[in-house]
Amino acid sequence: MPAPDGGTGPSDGPEFERVDEPRGDRTREWELFVRESTDESLRHAGSVSAPTAAVAREQATTLFGFAAETLWLCPADETVRLVASGVALGDRAGEDDGIERDDASEAVRDGRAEQ
Amino acid sequence: MISVSKLLCGLDAEGDGLRYDAADESSKAQIRERKQRRPVVVWNCTKQCNLYCDHCYAAAETEPAPGELSTAEGKRFLDDLAEFGAPVVLFSGGEPLARPDLVELVAHASDAGLRPVLSTNGTLLSEERARALRDAGLQYAGVSVDGLRERNDEFRGQEGAFDRALAGIEASQEAGLKTGLRYTITRHNADDLEAIVDLLADRGVDRFCFYHLDYGGRGADIQDVDLSPEQRREAVRRVCEMTREYHDRGHEIETLLVGNYADAAYLVEYARRELGDERAERVLAYLRRNGGDPTGERVADVDYQGNVHLTQFWQGYALGNVRDRPFGEIWTDESNPLLRALRERESHLQGRCGACEYQDVCRGASRLRAIAASGDPFAPDPQCYLTDAERGLADESAGTETTGAAD
Repeated sequence: MPAPDGGTGPSDGPEFERVDEPRGDRTREWELFVRESTDESLRHAGSVSAPTAAVAREQATTLFGFAAETLWLCPADETVRLVASGVALGDRAGEDDGIERDDASEAVRDGRAEQ
Repeated sequence: MISVSKLLCGLDAEGDGLRYDAADESSKAQIRERKQRRPVVVWNCTKQCNLYCDHCYAAAETEPAPGELSTAEGKRFLDDLAEFGAPVVLFSGGEPLARPDLVELVAHASDAGLRPVLSTNGTLLSEERARALRDAGLQYAGVSVDGLRERNDEFRGQEGAFDRALAGIEASQEAGLKTGLRYTITRHNADDLEAIVDLLADRGVDRFCFYHLDYGGRGADIQDVDLSPEQRREAVRRVCEMTREYHDRGHEIETLLVGNYADAAYLVEYARRELGDERAERVLAYLRRNGGDPTGERVADVDYQGNVHLTQFWQGYALGNVRDRPFGEIWTDESNPLLRALRERESHLQGRCGACEYQDVCRGASRLRAIAASGDPFAPDPQCYLTDAERGLADESAGTETTGAAD
């Protein structure tokens, strides 16, 4: 089993890393799980943006009510996400680029981003 | 995306292979073969924008947002798109020119075999940056202008935006980039439509994309300025008329309608009325190959954080995230019942969309608008402006039109 804090797993299994990049910005994101019939497992079916659980529920039932018999919604920012080393985009991409976004953002606000 | 100039005037364009499976009939270099089966991917590569437009589907902000894909992640993502066979990547935002690494990303996309194109507000597009983008392999720049000076600046939240966008268009043209206009038609700017085309056509712009308002992001908050069915029908008729008049004068502008596939049906009806049955049947055949609304099939969207959306306008729901799983695996995972249903929507569409004679060329148009209007993803699109007689739903002699005025 992987360590829940994203530490390494057993020596003969893959190493897992914790994923903590945000899924949403101003609006909270909710991971959505759907089961179409009782003889199936719940499956991840993406995520909805909603400020509250009530709105997330409304969004999910609107989109999946026609097909689902069970819906689970989990706040993305409270979901512990772990991924085996080498699988995530960041791992496959290699090192980060070191772009200084704060400097770039200031340039956009000042209207000099074209330089 | 429906090419009025192709369907009514026979204009040849590079995108016809994608839109109408008509590559063999075109003399222009075509986007074709295996890639036609894969979606055009809109990448909102940043949420940051220097403007604050009333209708922004991405709800862009002047400040940067957390979690933007890094340059390295962006390049790997573009590689994934190329391996999947996506034909086109549209760099959008926010304002994509707010990213200092845009040229590097465009070059990477081009080298990977993607066709990189740009959607921009134009205000940050200097001659130097336009040349760099051209050298990086950019194939097209679409610049958003939403009315003449005063109206555009009010809509875009910044005085001077119109003049700066025109300067951006000029810079793009000077660099030799194919350059076009993006124009979202609302009650605020419908009257400016011909004037803006005249102004830009005089300056050498020859591609004009007219968008219907979709109800995503801040667009959902301004439904009150959306066109009525009668106004929409009239606006589309004017686009058809204007296109034909330009072509009759020997000025072969390219005009496209985006975001409401009721337009497909309207074009068939228009062609039958104005150009005869033979032409109308040809238009219908092209549109059947086009396949109607592309949501979840021929167009996809990936936002600045890597969330994959069914279209660029539908930002409130994500199929998955490219940080977790390559784009192609998310896009082809039909264990998702919503994705599956959208791809076989003929068996789910209800009401007048379910029984419409033009369902094969429209496919219910916008499911996002249907949800906004009724809370049901398979209800009719409220923007449909066809008459019941045109939809084949009523005895024409009974005069039971429910929406849309006669021309």
